Amino acid sequence: MKPLLEVRGLKKSFPMTSGVFRKSAGSVIAVDGVDLDIYPDETLGLVGESGCGKTTLSKLILALEEPDSGSIRFEGVDVGRGRGGSLAHVRRGIQVVFQDPFGSLNPRRRIRAIIEEPMIIHREGSKAQRLKRVRELLEMVGLHEDILQRYPHEFSGGQRQRICIARALAVNPRLLICDEPVSALDVSIQAQVINLLVDLQKELKLSYLFISHNLSVVGYISHRIAVMHKGRIVELADAAELFEHPLHPYTECLMAAVPDARPLREGKTKPSKRNENSAQDVASGCAYRPWCPRAEAVCARETPVLERKGDGHFVACHAAAVCA
Amino acid sequence: MPDTDFVKGKAGPQGMTGDQRISGPHGREILVDIQGLHTHFHTPEGVVHALAGVDLQLWKGRTLGLVGESGCGKTVLALSILRLIPEPPGKIVKGRIFFEGTDLLSLDRDGIRRIRGNKISMIFQEPMTSLNPVFTIGSQIEEVILLHQSHLASTRKQARAMAVEMLDMVGIPYPARRIDDYPHQLSGGMCQRIMIAMALACRPSLMIADEPTTALDVTTQAQILLLMSELKEETHTSILLVTHDLGVVAQSCEDVAVMYTGNVVEHAAVEDIFSQPLHPYTKGLMKSIPTVEARKWGERLHAIPGNVPTFRSIPRGCTFHNRCEEVMDICRKEPPPVFCPFRDHSVRCWRYAN
Repeated sequence: MKPLLEVRGLKKSFPMTSGVFRKSAGSVIAVDGVDLDIYPDETLGLVGESGCGKTTLSKLILALEEPDSGSIRFEGVDVGRGRGGSLAHVRRGIQVVFQDPFGSLNPRRRIRAIIEEPMIIHREGSKAQRLKRVRELLEMVGLHEDILQRYPHEFSGGQRQRICIARALAVNPRLLICDEPVSALDVSIQAQVINLLVDLQKELKLSYLFISHNLSVVGYISHRIAVMHKGRIVELADAAELFEHPLHPYTECLMAAVPDARPLREGKTKPSKRNENSAQDVASGCAYRPWCPRAEAVCARETPVLERKGDGHFVACHAAAVCA
Repeated sequence: MPDTDFVKGKAGPQGMTGDQRISGPHGREILVDIQGLHTHFHTPEGVVHALAGVDLQLWKGRTLGLVGESGCGKTVLALSILRLIPEPPGKIVKGRIFFEGTDLLSLDRDGIRRIRGNKISMIFQEPMTSLNPVFTIGSQIEEVILLHQSHLASTRKQARAMAVEMLDMVGIPYPARRIDDYPHQLSGGMCQRIMIAMALACRPSLMIADEPTTALDVTTQAQILLLMSELKEETHTSILLVTHDLGVVAQSCEDVAVMYTGNVVEHAAVEDIFSQPLHPYTKGLMKSIPTVEARKWGERLHAIPGNVPTFRSIPRGCTFHNRCEEVMDICRKEPPPVFCPFRDHSVRCWRYAN
C-alpha cells in the first residue's frame, strides 16, 4: 500500500540565544532525522516526553514550520516546497485538533462561524451548502444543531473538543493530526472523545497521527506506535507488539513508568531510578546512553539507526536483541 | 501498614472536643476525621456548594487517594483541612475536622498557623510556580526550618546544614552545590523534589499533595511517586494524595475516596475499590480507562454518558442519577446516605440500602 504521508530525513533546529543582547548560543535540535510513513485508514501513535520534538514534528507536517532538511510528501506532493495551490491541497488534506479546547476556539465567534471558516477559506460551496455541511458535521460529532448560534464559553471541555473535531473535518481531510486531544479532559469525558475518534475513522476512512504522552490512550487508539526521544524515532512497531516486546530501553522505561490501574496485578515493575542530573546532551552516539542500563562502548561512538528487528518492528539501539 | 505503636487516647491532650473517634477497625489509628463538612462559595450567580457534607477518615501512616473529575471539590477539601479557603468568597459553613484530637475549625488564627507547615504540610500541582523565582532553593528551605523548627536550628548556618540534609533525602545529587541554585536552573521533577523537601522539613504528621505529578512527564512522575512512598515509610507521615489519575492511585495509595459533586461517594481500601467497585460512578471510571488489550479485542471504551454537572445544574436527589445506568426511582427524589455493605467499604448509593 502506498503511504499517505512520507517523511524522510526530517531535521529542524531552533537557534538559542542567551543574555540581554540575545547573543547566539548554539541551537536546539528539535527533530533530528525522522523517517515516518502514515498509511491510509491508519492511526499512528507518537509518544515521548515533553521536549522530545513531538509537537515540532507535527508543525513541520502541517507546513507551519519549515524544515532545515529532509522532505515530507503528502499524497505525492512535497509539503515543504508547496506554494499556492499545492500548499492549499496539503493544508486541506491535513487538519489538526489541538490539546486545549479552551484556547483553540475563538470566544467571540458563534459555533456556526467557527465550523464554517475552513470551508470559506478553501472556497467551498455556497452559503446554503456550507450551512448544510455544518449541520452534518455537528451530527457526526454528536452535537445537536441547536447550538449553531451559541458561543464556545457555553460548552464544557468535552463538547468543545467535539466542536474542534467538527471544524477539523469540515474540509474532508485525509489525515488528522491530534496533538494531545484528550489530555485536558476528565477521565469519563476522555472515553467519549476517544470513542468518537475511533468511530469517525471507520466512517470517513481517516488517518490519524495521534500525539500523546499517555501510553495507555495511545496504546488503545493506535495501530502502530512510534516512540520519540530527543528528536529521533527510537522504536516503531505495531501497538500490541510494542507493549508485549518493547526492544528499546527507553520504551521499557516509559512502559514501566505508566501507572497501571490494576493494583492487584502481580510482578509490578518498579520504575528505574533515573538520574535526572545527567540529563546533559551527549555530543556523539546514542542520546539515551546516559540513562541506558545496557550502554556499551559502541553506543558512545556510533549513533544507532532505525533497523528492522522483526515483522514491522523497528528499533534504533545497538543492544536491542532480534526478536523472534 | 507500618507498625505504628498504638497509643490509643494519646491523640491530643488539649482541646479534645466530644465525639472524636480515635481508632477505627483493625485498630488503625485515625489521624484526620472529617465530619459533615460543608464549604460554600458565594459568587454573583449564587452560592456554590463546593463541599456538601463530606465525611472522611484518614488513617495514620497510610496514603489516601482522593480521586474525582475537575470541579468535584477535591482541592477545596484539601484546602479546607488547612483552612486555606479564601474568605470571602469561600466559607466553611458546617462540620468538623478532627486532627490528632483537635477540631481544626475551632482553632484561632495563631492555632491554625502552628498546625500549618508544622503538622500538616502541602505540595501543590505546579512545582515551577510554587517556588519563589528570586530566592535560591536553599534560602527557601531554610526559611521553613527557621520559621517552624527554631528549637533545632536557630542560626542560618544550622538551617543550611539541615537544608542540605533534606535535599539529600529527596535524592538531589550534589546537594551542597545545588542548594545555591535558583528554581529556574532546575527541571520540573527537581523542583517537585524541592517542594517535597520543604513539605517534609518539619516532619509533619500529614502531607497533602494536590496533583503533585500532573505537570510532570510519566517517567518523572514515577520517580516522584516512588520518592513519596519511600519517604512515607521512613518518616511515618500520612499522605492525602489528590489526583484525577486512577493509575496513580492504584500504584501509590492504600485507601481511596472517590468524589463527585462535592461529596465522597465511595471510600475503601485500594484493592477493594479496584476489584469490586460499588458506586456506578466508580464502576464507570474503571471501565473508561483505555488499555491496549481492550483495543486488541475490539472493545469499545465504556464512557459515562453526559457531562460533569456544573454547580448550577446539580440534579436533585442523588447528584449522579442523570448519568447513572442503575438509576432507581428513589435516586431522583432523595440524596442517598452512606451505606456500608462491606467492612471498611462505604458507598453513597441507594443500591446498597439493604
